[in-house]
Amino acid sequence: MSLPAIRVDHVSVRFRPYVDRRPTLRRSLATFRHKETQLVDALKGVSFEVEKGEAFGIVGQNGAGKSTLLRVMARTLRPDEGRVVIRGRMSTLLQLGVGFNSELSGSRNIYLGGLVAGLTKKQVDERYDDIVAYSELGDAIYRPMKTYSSGMFSRLAFAVAMHLDPEILLLDEVLAVGDEGFREKSMTTMHDLLGRSGSIVFVSHAVRQLADFCDRAAWLDEGTVRALGEAEAVVDEYRAFVQRRRKEMRAQGLA
Amino acid sequence: MTTTTSPVYYARRFNEYMSELWRRRDFIWFLAKGNIKARNASTFLGLVWWVLNPLLLGLVYFFVFGLIFPTQRDIAYLLSGMFVFHFSSQSLSGGASSILQNSKLLVNIRFPRLILPIAFLLESTFGFLASLVVFYLIVIPFTDVLPGPEIALLLVVLPLQILFNVGLAAATARLAVPFRDINNLIPYLNRIWLYLSPIIWPLSLINSQSETIQMLLRLNPMFPIIAVYRTALLGYPLEQIDLLATVAWCLAVGIIGIAMFIKYEGKMVRYL
Repeated sequence: MSLPAIRVDHVSVRFRPYVDRRPTLRRSLATFRHKETQLVDALKGVSFEVEKGEAFGIVGQNGAGKSTLLRVMARTLRPDEGRVVIRGRMSTLLQLGVGFNSELSGSRNIYLGGLVAGLTKKQVDERYDDIVAYSELGDAIYRPMKTYSSGMFSRLAFAVAMHLDPEILLLDEVLAVGDEGFREKSMTTMHDLLGRSGSIVFVSHAVRQLADFCDRAAWLDEGTVRALGEAEAVVDEYRAFVQRRRKEMRAQGLA
Repeated sequence: MTTTTSPVYYARRFNEYMSELWRRRDFIWFLAKGNIKARNASTFLGLVWWVLNPLLLGLVYFFVFGLIFPTQRDIAYLLSGMFVFHFSSQSLSGGASSILQNSKLLVNIRFPRLILPIAFLLESTFGFLASLVVFYLIVIPFTDVLPGPEIALLLVVLPLQILFNVGLAAATARLAVPFRDINNLIPYLNRIWLYLSPIIWPLSLINSQSETIQMLLRLNPMFPIIAVYRTALLGYPLEQIDLLATVAWCLAVGIIGIAMFIKYEGKMVRYL
């Protein structure tokens, strides 16, 4: 049995009150004076492992901590407690679109995406033609990315991410975009990656699709793992919960 | 195969971090070039503003002060100080903005964050080198200043000032990303710093001050740095103390600023 590709070990992340508000000088002096330490927990002791060759899904409602968890796994956000161990080269496609600069052309963004992920200029040169061909963007590659449709945007993002030779892929809500043909192609590419014992972590609200694609899944609720196991079962449990919640809300609304 | 754990953020040691930066030099170069291109595309004069800003400021002071104080009519003295000062003062605001403008990259992908202020510095170094050329183009026809052998001193003082500026940019980025109020203060700090530096007032002015005031004015890192540049560019006699102070200041500010930044960078994403 080989070691897991990702080990998330008792990870907790706390944000200051007013979650995403930055501390101003005044506010931080105030907290200093009053020792006001109520923090908001975004993640509370989350643990799980993603094996090599496994597709792992994360489901949960808005605000459950999915994006925070992805950032911790991408190691752009350091957790307050716990740790993440990554074995393998990682490629990330998080919500905001891989850090593409939309003022620049698609072509320059290929370089930006490749270089920021740690390739040298020469390595990007070598892969450039393949990336353009894969993205199916044709001459649009020379246009600024702000002129792209969301489908074109995600095609290029995916093409770059897959040409970084990832052993681990983190995806946040990207499969929903792109036309039918491209989605099929991207699925094939991802199955290839899994076949080479790569791992994929996949966050989506399209839970049906997620259950089909993933082997195992975790359900994240208010920063904790509510269920963990076989993807089909976790998704069923999650859906049942959502429906129950919706019914309760409706009942309250009627009462 | 790479194994990485998160609590030790980018690298265990300072030198590992530095070698990672070096490994990614293509990326730094690409960012700097991209910034210059973007600047050229968004404003008509593009990079020319890098030279024009300190030049116009210098000329304004030249005409205002040159008319009021007959002691200060030395354009070579004034412009040399102004260009050198501008190079550093830009770094105060440039560090934080290099982070804030690239928040998408920071949130999505892990890389040594110091790359961003360094790329900014690379870009501004081009501007500074261009301004040195402009400096001679203006000064040679109007004064008797000519570049002499002392200009070789640039090879020492320029890398030192770049280190100083990286430290400044890194430290202000460290402070101004979580506390954005600081961005509003920076223009005033720069103005005060300008007045405290030997640029618009002649060196002879401080000789008439008390020793305490002289001491205090010399504590400004810009004081020795500009003095060394004036030796390099104008052939002023070099005082050893100025060279030593320049080395000390640049190393100290560079290392402290970079260390502050690296220690903080794991938390940076929270404030974007």
